Amino acid sequence: MREKKDKEATDSLSLALKNRFLPNLEYLLQGSILDTAVEHLMHRLKGLCDNVDTSPETFHDLEVCMSLRQPNSPQPLLLLRVRRALGRDAPFQLRYLGQPEVDMRRPTLVRSCMDCACTNGILDFLSEMGFRLEFEYIAKGYMFRKGRMKITVSKLIKIVPGKQQDMANEPISQSYIVELSVVAPTGQENVGEEMRVFAEQLKPLVQLEKIDYKRLTNIP
Amino acid sequence: MSNSVNISVETTCENQIREIAYDGTELYQAPPTLSESLAKCAARIDFSKTSLDDLKKEEKSAAAATEDDKDANQFQESLWPWDAVRNKLKDAYTEICVLSDVISIAKDKRYLVLDPLLEDGDDTKPIVQVYSRKKAISQAAQVLLSGAERLRNAHSEQRSRNVSDFHIELLRLRQNWRLKKVSNGAIIGDLSYRTAGSKFGMSGTFEVTKAEEALDDDGAGNSANASSGASNSSTNNGMQLKASSALRVIVPAELQGVAYIKVITQKDQEDLCTAQVNLMGHGPNITAQVGVWQKTLEFAQNVLFCKELFAQLAREAIQLQAPIPHVVIGNQIRATLLPNIQLIISLCHSTSFDSSQPAPINDHDHVLEHSLHQLLREVHFKNSHHPFPHPASAPLGPSKKRMIAGPTAADREALLDMTKTQTILEQIIAQAQHIFMRKRTQYVLDTLARDVKDPQIVSHWNAMNSPTMSCVKINIVTHGYDAIGRTSLVIHVKERSLKCICRDGRVMRLSYEPQELRDLILCQINSHQISCLVSLARYMAWTVLSNSNHLGIGKVEPLGNASSCLLGSPNSDRMIAVQIRCDPQIDVKVYIARSPRPDFFPSPLVPEKFWENLGGNFKEVRFDKIEGKSFLNKMEFLMASLTSNTA
Repeated sequence: MREKKDKEATDSLSLALKNRFLPNLEYLLQGSILDTAVEHLMHRLKGLCDNVDTSPETFHDLEVCMSLRQPNSPQPLLLLRVRRALGRDAPFQLRYLGQPEVDMRRPTLVRSCMDCACTNGILDFLSEMGFRLEFEYIAKGYMFRKGRMKITVSKLIKIVPGKQQDMANEPISQSYIVELSVVAPTGQENVGEEMRVFAEQLKPLVQLEKIDYKRLTNIP
Repeated sequence: MSNSVNISVETTCENQIREIAYDGTELYQAPPTLSESLAKCAARIDFSKTSLDDLKKEEKSAAAATEDDKDANQFQESLWPWDAVRNKLKDAYTEICVLSDVISIAKDKRYLVLDPLLEDGDDTKPIVQVYSRKKAISQAAQVLLSGAERLRNAHSEQRSRNVSDFHIELLRLRQNWRLKKVSNGAIIGDLSYRTAGSKFGMSGTFEVTKAEEALDDDGAGNSANASSGASNSSTNNGMQLKASSALRVIVPAELQGVAYIKVITQKDQEDLCTAQVNLMGHGPNITAQVGVWQKTLEFAQNVLFCKELFAQLAREAIQLQAPIPHVVIGNQIRATLLPNIQLIISLCHSTSFDSSQPAPINDHDHVLEHSLHQLLREVHFKNSHHPFPHPASAPLGPSKKRMIAGPTAADREALLDMTKTQTILEQIIAQAQHIFMRKRTQYVLDTLARDVKDPQIVSHWNAMNSPTMSCVKINIVTHGYDAIGRTSLVIHVKERSLKCICRDGRVMRLSYEPQELRDLILCQINSHQISCLVSLARYMAWTVLSNSNHLGIGKVEPLGNASSCLLGSPNSDRMIAVQIRCDPQIDVKVYIARSPRPDFFPSPLVPEKFWENLGGNFKEVRFDKIEGKSFLNKMEFLMASLTSNTA
């Protein structure tokens, strides 16, 4: 009886995920820049973005990715990301990201997304539901905005288990990841074009591109 | 030349003209195809470019020998375009073959030995070299000198004519205003507040042009007239200034002129408080350093500002659901603040510069003007400054309050509260109402303080207050008896109501009617007098038999009523009864009674003297005839005289 119920639940979950039940889409372009050149990029962004008369906004977040797996299935059924701002009194953010759309004509990567603010009990709650830790990292960097576009320049930092958090600052690579994203309701087609134009303006410094995640997973 | 300019050179895209017909039509040569142009380029390669001249000579002699044979070949050469190239490559191939043979032989060192050639010295004489260098240097010097001369000329001319340079002016303009060059070479500027967060639709573009010579001459003529004429009014001065500027700004017609927003609060056609809003006279005056266009642009920007403010207010006036609806007619918005009192906001825009300015308003309210400015700026600021989300993945847009609404389980009411924002008009109305309430309260307190001499009413207004709330502390004291008692109360003046907090902790809310405040203060005076009298009586060893702050006679007010007290002399043979009423005015009544009369004559009804202790008849004292400056002073005298009589 219980198994049958479980089966129904997983079926309806996968059906919901397939049918794009979420109203919001995330448009995303990504790129990276070396540590040595990031200063130039910051100058460029200061010139392009909205009200940066004050110093750029910094952030320092911990992201934990939790997955729900079915027994004897290699692919996780559902991945959820929990992100919290370190050293700041802000609610946790739970984030679901859908599979990227396959449409090659779009200038940006498009995927459905869902954001939700949570209390700090969310991690325990997810573990109780059967979610297991997939990976975690710290992102630290700067944030800009231009209209509805959000630009983050972040350094990804590895978490070394068993060490004091402050001591274990070990960056994953010698570069910063640059992300340009817009979360918009479905049916706004000009977002991608707007983002492409903006990405064009950062061109020689950083190449913001549509990353094909399927190709990345095939790399052994 | 560190600041040299890169010049790119390109061929013209046009084809060559092959033929011009009699009617003038030009026939173009078709552009060469790729293979044709390749062949053309290949034919252009100079294979004979080699340093070994003697080798060439040798070749030529060899070629002369075989010329007769080649004649036949050359005839065919024109048929096939690659022939020349092929021949040359073939020659080169032959040469390479020979060279490789020679090298292979020389490697053996048996038949051939390679020796370095003796270089014969440079045959150019040093004296020739010196001459040529001297000539080259003198030519360069000539170029530099002529350039310097030209610069000096231009500089001196500018100084002598005192005409400002267009480009210098443009540079100054660029330092203060947003400019951009558009495709057809024109320069367009933007004076709108869009970059500061405004969402007003009207365009604020202006065009920058070079002032024409004709205008210059005109201006010069005018200035000459002005100097010759006796009058040197400011308009003429302006013209003179205009003539000296090499730069002209063209502002769209709807932004020309002078504009201001006039705010009037009116009661039955009588202006109570007015304010004029515009941008003029704010910020540093830099016209003297930059040019007249600064003034023109400032005026235009001011017009834009006023129009935006007014448009915003008009839109809100129509949307707002007020109990008495706001009226928008033409350039005027009317809103009712309090009964009979109206707020009129009007946009005044005159296109002619020299139109007679309205008479200066004596009762200009700077605070209201300032808040109008501040409100619009605040809207602009909120439009452009959104808070950044934390953590960084959170969506952009919702405020911090909205973000924590979910985790803190905010209810529907709290969420609805978040969506409510006060519009500019609402805030202005609230502020105007408050200004009005404050004035009314001040007036009531001042007239009462003037009319009521005893006790004294002292009001202290807080210097720090918000646009919609101020605070006044009122002390009621009797001169000379300050130590005996003091009644103090605090009044919070809000938008449409007053809140009074008394010493005893009572909180009363009053409406905007001034009569209510007046009644309250009068009642407070009553109770002040009685409470002071009670303490004074104690000092003088009189006993307080009873006292009441609310007698409940006359008009019963919620705020207070007539008050009274009954005092007994130290040896209890006399009583004083005091009643203070405040119905229309403060009215004091004092009665005295003597219980055992000094002269007792027994009668059949009252046989014994002790019956007299039951109390006697009260007789009213003509209080106004008693010596003394104030009520307490008079009472003191009265008590003292009654006490001494018994001694």
